[in-house]
Amino acid sequence: MMEKENNSIHNSVFALLPWVIPAVFMLTWIIVSETRLIPTYLLPHPVEIGKAGYTYIFRNPGDAPFAGRFLNDAGASLIRVCSGFAAAVILGIPLGIISGRLASVRKLMSTTINALRAVPGISWLPLAMIWFGIGIKTTVFLIALAAFFPIYLNSAAGARQINPLLLQAGAMMGVNRLRGTFAILLPGAMPHIMTGLRLGLGISWAYLVLGELTGVPNGLGAVIMDARMLGRIDIIVVGIIIIAVMGRAGDQLLKTSLRFCFKSARRMA
Amino acid sequence: MKPKLAPISKACPKIRGPILEINSLRKVFHINGSSLTVLDGIDFSVNKGEMICILGRSGCGKSTLLKMLAGFLSPSSGEILLNGKPVADPGPDRCVVFQEDTLFPWLTVKENIAFGLKGRTRDKKAFDEEVERFLSLVGLSEFTNYLPREISGGMKQRVALARVLILKPEVLLMDEPFASLDAQTREEMQNFLLSLWENLSHTIIFVTHDVTEAVTLADRILVMSKDPGRIREEIRVDLPRPRKREKSDFLFFSRKLYERLRE
Ligand SMILES: Nc1ncnc2c1ncn2[C@@H]1O[C@H](COP(=O)(O)OP(=O)(O)O)[C@@H](O)[C@H]1O
Ligand SMILES: [Mg+2]
Repeated sequence: MMEKENNSIHNSVFALLPWVIPAVFMLTWIIVSETRLIPTYLLPHPVEIGKAGYTYIFRNPGDAPFAGRFLNDAGASLIRVCSGFAAAVILGIPLGIISGRLASVRKLMSTTINALRAVPGISWLPLAMIWFGIGIKTTVFLIALAAFFPIYLNSAAGARQINPLLLQAGAMMGVNRLRGTFAILLPGAMPHIMTGLRLGLGISWAYLVLGELTGVPNGLGAVIMDARMLGRIDIIVVGIIIIAVMGRAGDQLLKTSLRFCFKSARRMA
Repeated sequence: MKPKLAPISKACPKIRGPILEINSLRKVFHINGSSLTVLDGIDFSVNKGEMICILGRSGCGKSTLLKMLAGFLSPSSGEILLNGKPVADPGPDRCVVFQEDTLFPWLTVKENIAFGLKGRTRDKKAFDEEVERFLSLVGLSEFTNYLPREISGGMKQRVALARVLILKPEVLLMDEPFASLDAQTREEMQNFLLSLWENLSHTIIFVTHDVTEAVTLADRILVMSKDPGRIREEIRVDLPRPRKREKSDFLFFSRKLYERLRE
C-alpha cells in the first residue's frame, strides 16, 4: 500500500521532470529582466516576447512589421524540412541497409562517407548557392546532405548487428530475399533506424535555418535573419522558440507514427 | 503448464529405407592461411521416422555437421542426399531448432509460429486454424500474444518447435535445443519432444553432449570423436519406451555409454 502511494507520487514527479529545466530557465529570465540585470536590447522581457509572438502569429499582415507572417513562414520551412528529410530517408535507409549487410559495399563507401561527413555543413553553403541559387533548392540540398549521414550510419549499424541466426532461421523457413529484407532485416534494424531518423530530423531543422539565412524571402530562418537586420531581437527570440517547439513536435510525431506503423518500433524501441 | 497434444493426422505411412544419406562428408575451415579439418569422412543414413542422437564432446563438430545438413554451410567434399536429391540451400524440408533463442523479438508467440506459413496458403481460415492447432499442440494457447522476452526459456523452445513443425519438415534438426534450460525444464522438454515424436512420427536428428539426454531420446546414437570429427561408433538403444531415467537398465546403459565415451 505504502509502496503504491510512493510509486504514484514518484510517477507524477517523473512526469514533471522534462519541464523542470524550461521552468527554471523561464524563472531566471523573468528575474534578470525584472531586475534589469541584462539590458532589454540584449534580452527582451518575456512579456515583450509574448507580444511579438502574438503579432507574428495572429495579427493581420500589414498591421505591423512581421505581423501574420507565421503561417507562410512555417509552411515554407516545413516543406523544405520535409523534402530534404525525405530525400535523406529515401537514400539513407536503403544504402545504409545494403552497406550494413555487404562488406564490399561498406568498404566502397566508408572512406567517402567519412570524408564527406567531416565537412561542416556551412562549407557547403557557398557551393550550394552557386549550384542551386538562392531558394528552396539550396535549403533542401543542405538539409538532405546533413540528415543523410545519421540515417545512413545508423541504418548500416542496425543491419550489421542483426543476429545472423535470425536470418538463418528465416532462410530455413523458406523466406526469400525480398521477404527476408522486409520481414527480418528491417524490423531487426528498427531500433537503430529509428535513432537515425530522429537524429536526422533534428539536424534537418538546424540546416533549415542555415539554408534560409541566405536571403530567401520566407521561412523561419529567413524571419530570424530579417529581424536581425531590423534590430528586432524580440522576433529573433520568437523565431528560435518556434523552431524549438516545431522540432520537438516533429520528433514526437516521428516517434509516434513509427510506433503506429511498425510492430518492431512499438515492441523493441 | 503441461503441454497438450491435439490429435493430428499421421504423416504418410512409414516407408522403409533411408530418407537422408550422408556420404564421406568432410569439412575443412580455412582461417588466415591455415586449414582446420573439423569433420573427416562422415557416413551415416537416417530412416524415416527415426530419432537419431549425435553425441559428442563440445568442439567435435556437431554443430558444423548440423549446419551442413541444414544447408547453412556447404561441405568441403562428400554429399548429403535427402530422398535421393542433393541438399544445397536451407529450406523448410530441413528445419532447425537452435540452442540459442532465435525467435523474432518483434513478433508475438502466435506471429512467430505463423511466420513460416505466411504466403503458403490463400485460405485465411485454414491458415488461422493451423496456427491455433500448433499453438495448442505446444501448450501455449494462453500465451498467444506474449512477446518472446515475456516467456520462459522452455516456452521459447516450444515456440521454436511449433514454428518449424507447422511447416511439416521432412527432417527436424535440433542442435542442443535444451542445453541452456534448467535440469527440470530440460527433462520436461525431452518428454514433450518424445510425445510429439510419437504422435507425429517425424524424423529427428538431435545433437547433444549429454549422455542421459541421448539415451532418453534416441533410437540410435552416433558417437562422435574429435580432431578430426568422425563417427566413432553407432549404438542402437534397445531400451523399451517409455524410458524411465531412474530404472536400472537405463542407468546401466548410460553408465556403459559414458565409460565408452571416456575411453
Ligand atoms: N565458421 C568457422 N570457422 C572456423 N572454425 C570453425 C567454424 N565453425 C566451427 N569451427 C571450429 O570447428 C570446431 C567444431 O565446432 P562445432 O561444430 O561448433 O562443435 P560442437 O558443436 O560439437 O561443439 C571447433 O573447433 C570450432 O572452433
Ligand atoms: Mg555446437
